[in-house]
Amino acid sequence: MITGLISFFLTIIIYYGAKWCYARRPKVYLSPLLVTPILLVAILSWTHLSYQEYHAGTELLSYLLQPATVAFAIPLYKYSAVLKRHAVEIAAGVLSGSVAAVFSTALLGGWLHVNPQMIHSLIPHSVTTPIAMGVSERIGGVPTLTAVFVIITGLAGAFIGPWLIRLLGIHSEVARGVLLGTSAHGAGTSKAFEISQVAGTISSISMILAALITLCAAPWMDSIPIP
Amino acid sequence: MSTVIKRIWQISLLIVITMAMNGLVRIFHLPIPGSILGMIAVYLLLQAKMIKLEWLETGGSWLLSELLLFFIPPAVGVIQFTHVLKADGEHLLLAVILSTAVVMACAGLSVQYIAKRKEKGRT
Repeated sequence: MITGLISFFLTIIIYYGAKWCYARRPKVYLSPLLVTPILLVAILSWTHLSYQEYHAGTELLSYLLQPATVAFAIPLYKYSAVLKRHAVEIAAGVLSGSVAAVFSTALLGGWLHVNPQMIHSLIPHSVTTPIAMGVSERIGGVPTLTAVFVIITGLAGAFIGPWLIRLLGIHSEVARGVLLGTSAHGAGTSKAFEISQVAGTISSISMILAALITLCAAPWMDSIPIP
Repeated sequence: MSTVIKRIWQISLLIVITMAMNGLVRIFHLPIPGSILGMIAVYLLLQAKMIKLEWLETGGSWLLSELLLFFIPPAVGVIQFTHVLKADGEHLLLAVILSTAVVMACAGLSVQYIAKRKEKGRT
């Protein structure tokens, strides 16, 4: 009980502390999504507090991800005109990105000699946690491990997204939003909202579409050849 | 109504919607998570003017602006898999980063390509 409360408040304090620092020095390596877990992992291993105890105390916080996902209906509704105007580009971009996610992960995993169960845990890594975990379970992966890969993907996406946008010369807000939302789910979307409201909203819809496409494609993912 | 109370009330409302949708998913064995179903339902209700944006906007915007906080506990979950990551960490990390870059390039470039063609079609 006490450890649960400590875990809860520690998470909140470190998160808001990290957020405060990030607002003053917006460097990717200071991102709260990177700094907070690293500090918490360090504290847990230092104090020998088990993850089970930590998890019990912070369950409410992870639970809020669900009503937050429901809340994405709000920007979708507010910007539905923009979304309708660019519906074709968004749909095509998300579809090509989602297909690329599944195949590139299977290929890269095979080439890097990652074991097959690990590859199955890795395949849905681009989409939002609840969907990725469901897909992972269905295709024979380890859902909790998938959750970790999803978070690492979010971080990686927030790191390389802005750099890749410059490198590839992606100028349109729509393309930037689709790029971030399809590849790096909520973390990418949060980065897209730093660019603009429009990019963020397009990123939200891309994240949702990518999740739905991956979910619908899950029954066929068993048969993907792993080199 | 002060903003804080309004925020808490609206978040509670979103939680109730989530719980109801999770219930529906369980009863009918639907293949999608309750949260996604909830988002689609709220969107449709807003479009149909059956609920008002003001009923959810304050709480919803707060949840979205603190989204990263809700990712923290699962991210700390990495601690359970140190043995896996020690054994195969570099390869897994490399696979995640490279495939993320591939997805970004495919998604971003195809949007840009179609947008250009659409513009050409117009002129």
